[in-house]
Amino acid sequence: MAQISTNEFRSGVKVEIEGEPYNIVSNEFVKPGKGQPFNRVKLRHLKTGRVIERTFKSGEKLNEADVNETKMRMLYKEADGVIFMDDQTYDQITIPNSLIADKDQWLMEEVLYDVVFYKGEPIEVVPPTFMEMVITETAPGLRGDTSGRVLKPAMTNSGAKIQVPIFCNEGDKIKVDTRTGDYVSRI
Amino acid sequence: MSQESKIDRLKDRGAMFAKARAFFAQRNVLEVDCPVLSGAAPVDAHIDIIETRCNRYLHSSVEYAMKRLLAQGIGDIYQLSHVFREGEFGRLHNPEFTMVEWYRRNFTYTGLIEETIDFIYLFLGPIPSRCLSYKEALDTYAKDAVPPPEGAEWTPDTFTAYRMAFVVQPHLGKDELTVITHFPPAQAALGRMTTVGGELVAERFEIFYKGIELANGSHELCNPVEQRARLHLANAQRQADNKSALPLDENFLSALQLGLPDCCGVAVGFDRLMLLRHNAESLADILPFAWKEA
Repeated sequence: MAQISTNEFRSGVKVEIEGEPYNIVSNEFVKPGKGQPFNRVKLRHLKTGRVIERTFKSGEKLNEADVNETKMRMLYKEADGVIFMDDQTYDQITIPNSLIADKDQWLMEEVLYDVVFYKGEPIEVVPPTFMEMVITETAPGLRGDTSGRVLKPAMTNSGAKIQVPIFCNEGDKIKVDTRTGDYVSRI
Repeated sequence: MSQESKIDRLKDRGAMFAKARAFFAQRNVLEVDCPVLSGAAPVDAHIDIIETRCNRYLHSSVEYAMKRLLAQGIGDIYQLSHVFREGEFGRLHNPEFTMVEWYRRNFTYTGLIEETIDFIYLFLGPIPSRCLSYKEALDTYAKDAVPPPEGAEWTPDTFTAYRMAFVVQPHLGKDELTVITHFPPAQAALGRMTTVGGELVAERFEIFYKGIELANGSHELCNPVEQRARLHLANAQRQADNKSALPLDENFLSALQLGLPDCCGVAVGFDRLMLLRHNAESLADILPFAWKEA
């Protein structure tokens, strides 16, 4: 397995510690002028999200985590999981609801998601950063205020509860940032 | 950080170059400009050198060249220079940085500590200061420190370095400049050995403020035989760490043979002084163009 050294530890690089996969969050170089250099590294566990801190001698190496991402199309939801399909191979997999967790609000049929696999097992579903969706429930739109600064709650067809400007109406198509859940624009 | 612009900070930087030079002029210390590129590199176990395509190395400090001039009888000298260290990049590190290095003949070790503190005052104003030996610092702040789980296979020297950098250093210079004196033999660098309270220690010091290392100085080693042995030792450590050994600077070693006058020398990080002067977060905030934008 490929090994990578502390000087290549950049945010987003995935490594393995004690057989567990981690995503590097930050890497601080600590070095006394003439002394032994160290790297203080923050890592987030890829499955549990728990953040740990480790100190390495500069130049120490870790195994790269066997992680890859595949674009997969969401087909439908079942009671205990969600079915995704690889458009290239037509392979279908069921991702358990426990893994989907709060991503459920961004799941819509026929949309392509990044599914992250660790050693062949799915561990995360990443929605597109910006998604288009339709407002299914909200208070009637108010004319007059077009600044977009005044917000009201709304529900979308993906099931997400977000805040939208008060001029929006049910049936409006909007763009949403899935990282923050923020309304971006009306389409 | 204060609301001043980068240009304001660079104007202040320029003014501080002038003040630094005036500081040395007032003390009759001569400015020199030894070459940045040389045929042999300073050999340090933990400092990596940037090599160029013409078989020359970018200097990581001006020490060897300045000592050659000292051996030739030039007298007290300083150099305000860019120096280069491969891979040293972070909030407090930039692979190219500005160092002020100076040497004083017939100065005592404590005399140079005092002068270095005066130099720091130019940038930070008068701040109280205290001295603490390396051993006292470890005993005070890191007596019960244990290695982290990932350090199970570290050597005792690595663990000592870890305690100093991670456990002790954050305590140094919280409200006052802290001078760490008398380093253990394994960290003598180019300092002379002496005996304090029955223990062999190096006459080397470092100065910290707000947990940041600002200066490294020593009563300089003049013995060419011991000097050569230390360079070989540093190269052996490099090879143990899977790094290449570096060629020894024979010009420097013959200068010691010729006779280096009894002197003390210190190197001060100019950029870090500017960082503290402006309450900046990172060197990128005070440099014209830091590594990633250079």
